[in-house]
Amino acid sequence: MSIRALIVDDSSVMRKIVERCLRQAGMDLGQVLEASNGAEALALVTENTFDLILSDINMPVMDGLEFIRHLKEIESAKSIPIVMITTEGGEKSVLEALSLGAKGYIRKPFTPDQVKEHVIPVLRS
Amino acid sequence: MSAPTQSSAGKNPAPFEHWRVVLRDSVKEVFSLMVGAEINIPEDVDPPVITEVTGMVGLAGELCGVLSVRCAKNCGAKIASKMLAVPLTEAASHISDAVGEICNMVAGNFKAKIDGLQDKCMLSVPTVITGGDYQLYSLAVGDRIELPFLFEGESIWIGLEVRS
Repeated sequence: MSIRALIVDDSSVMRKIVERCLRQAGMDLGQVLEASNGAEALALVTENTFDLILSDINMPVMDGLEFIRHLKEIESAKSIPIVMITTEGGEKSVLEALSLGAKGYIRKPFTPDQVKEHVIPVLRS
Repeated sequence: MSAPTQSSAGKNPAPFEHWRVVLRDSVKEVFSLMVGAEINIPEDVDPPVITEVTGMVGLAGELCGVLSVRCAKNCGAKIASKMLAVPLTEAASHISDAVGEICNMVAGNFKAKIDGLQDKCMLSVPTVITGGDYQLYSLAVGDRIELPFLFEGESIWIGLEVRS
């Protein structure tokens, strides 16, 4: 089954790298949509169905933590697994993301193997 | 922007010298993993300072300052090209984004490697300036590390200015 993924990052380069890593990990990607901040991502979530969300934390307009808070209030979207991809590897922000419902996190810089290691178990669960 | 100076040791030389090593390792790690290419340290003479693209990320909290990446536009295009795995001609529109993201990852990687900074230092979102005819003014005088690198024959200067 193809995986419908949403990639949220203020860097377009990073969004494309994440998508490439998912494909290199052997994932059968179907629809892949991109958002440059949490607010854009919320708009996409209300109009589309996703199997996976990968989101940065530190973004302008609406950061990744605020995005998860709002996402969890949307009945149709609150169960979509979220993996954070962040430069902010500090325990505090990561723990907050996990407490809000994120299923895992990947610290930048990363390798395709690290993306695979963190994403595949999340999808299986 | 003015030419880079050698690092000053300031009031606390030992940790600051350690930071130079850590910053160098962070730059090499980010390029190796995210650009997919090696970045080298010049062996003899410092490479020229060509400032056509400047990426900056602010640090606030336990450590306040600015981390910067400065390079030529063509060098920025080479970085974007490698990161996106697209031809150089297609990479031109992604230069700012690529340089900003490199700056962001180097700053994040650096603070993660320094004991006690990870949770006590926040990063701003990256800012990128294109063009070289500008001057950067700091509100406080502090220490500065400037590290030269060579990437596919082009010079890249990584700077860390720390408020005292």
